Amino acid sequence: METPVIDFHTHSGRWGNTAVFDDPKRYVEIMDAAGVDRANINCIFHSDASKGNNIVAERFVSQYPDRFIGVAFVTPHYPEEAIPELERAFNTLNLRSLKVYPTYYGKPIDDPGYFPIFEWCNDRGITLMSHSSHGPADDGLTIPTSFIPLAQKYTNMNWVLAHSGNGRPGQELAVEAAQACPNIYLETCSSFADHKTIDFLVEGAGEDRVLFGSDMPLMDARAMVGRIVTSGISDQAKRKVLGLNALKVLGLDD
Amino acid sequence: MGNVDLNFKSAVPTFDANVALGRRHDRRVVVSTTEGLIEAMDGSGIERAVVYSPYAAHFDTVEGNEQLLDMIKGQPRLVPQLVANPAVEDLDTFAAQVESLGVRSIRFHPDEHKYPLRDWVVGSWLEWMESEGIPLWIPVAETDPVTLHDIAAGHPGLSIVLTETHYSQVPWAIPFLKSVSNTSVEVSRWVIADGVQRLMGAIGAERILFGSRFPDSSMGNQLYNLHRNDLSDNNLAAICAGNLDRLLGLE
Repeated sequence: METPVIDFHTHSGRWGNTAVFDDPKRYVEIMDAAGVDRANINCIFHSDASKGNNIVAERFVSQYPDRFIGVAFVTPHYPEEAIPELERAFNTLNLRSLKVYPTYYGKPIDDPGYFPIFEWCNDRGITLMSHSSHGPADDGLTIPTSFIPLAQKYTNMNWVLAHSGNGRPGQELAVEAAQACPNIYLETCSSFADHKTIDFLVEGAGEDRVLFGSDMPLMDARAMVGRIVTSGISDQAKRKVLGLNALKVLGLDD
Repeated sequence: MGNVDLNFKSAVPTFDANVALGRRHDRRVVVSTTEGLIEAMDGSGIERAVVYSPYAAHFDTVEGNEQLLDMIKGQPRLVPQLVANPAVEDLDTFAAQVESLGVRSIRFHPDEHKYPLRDWVVGSWLEWMESEGIPLWIPVAETDPVTLHDIAAGHPGLSIVLTETHYSQVPWAIPFLKSVSNTSVEVSRWVIADGVQRLMGAIGAERILFGSRFPDSSMGNQLYNLHRNDLSDNNLAAICAGNLDRLLGLE
């Protein structure tokens, strides 16, 4: 049986401080080597949302429309620009989901500055992924359980917890959040993933609610696929985590 | 459509260079028994592993090393690595233990054990290791690159293995490895995109060691990455086992 593989979490941007590359062609070559069919790509580290979203659309999606799925970002530091940029990103650039990174912005995920953004996404059924962390990499801004009231308030959208809380203490809270809210999903990439982390997430949240992600180019998609395929979950669960779940969440399974 | 191997196992003999075995004081680890470790190794197709005691690394080297040796007694697939605290231990006593046990590698944790990695603390230990051909493992987060470079350059006959090098250390790690040729890198946390190829371009296959950092990481993720990097059969075999065998004198 063939397995569609969708990488839910990749970034563009040169990232000089970690010496990574930013070449769409090389992304595709690594995706091919890893067995990844398509990747969600964002440019959330850009200081200007509109320019970052343009990079996603023009450098990645337009060059490789069958390989990249565009992800928008907006920043709560410029609330007057957020909604117009969302309208442009989804209606003109045809980006498909939204990523926010409260740690990078320095504003917690439940800061009221995000609420208009959440309402906009909720009105349209847009999937939103946010960094989440607690434990070794705790920043206090994205504790997984802080997503519960948001997901319970904004129920017409999917909430994806990037990194599934990062580390076992955060993973436990991420599972708790997923169990509390059927619209919360857990994404797998992390620098803090013990042996059997994937088994833990699937057993806790269910095999329909876990999404493979790599964090490319910080982490190589080959290694992150390896984390899924060498886990102890069933082959059917592996297929769901690697891609079948993402197709549903992104509405690409029609 | 998704060219993935859902039931991947290593295709070459594989020797893991970085495994912790035993309980930790600060949390419950997923696998802390010899049986659990062997089961995980079998799951990823790993034949052998260098193992050390996390208790020795975090608190008590003497008791931790003894616990480790007791846990792996009669298990030839597990190769013991002793943790040393050169700031407080007697070198002659430690050296006698190493010799009597046939231990082939030693691990320092300067940050955990609260000493500077300087010759006025560790020099006599490093000279002994150089003379005996015993390599040194150091988690890179436990020292700074300038100090580590001074030590490596000042002891050119000592083989040093940088363990758990993370993407945040990439900006200095590549120049470091190119600068001091008596160093190798264990790649459990070296999962930055194209990291294997970048290492290959900088230092070649001979100084790259497969390691997992089990149980703080799964054994399979970096192994899968190595198998998907267009490495020649010889280079894959060297990285997965041959280089470590050579370093430990087990060829």
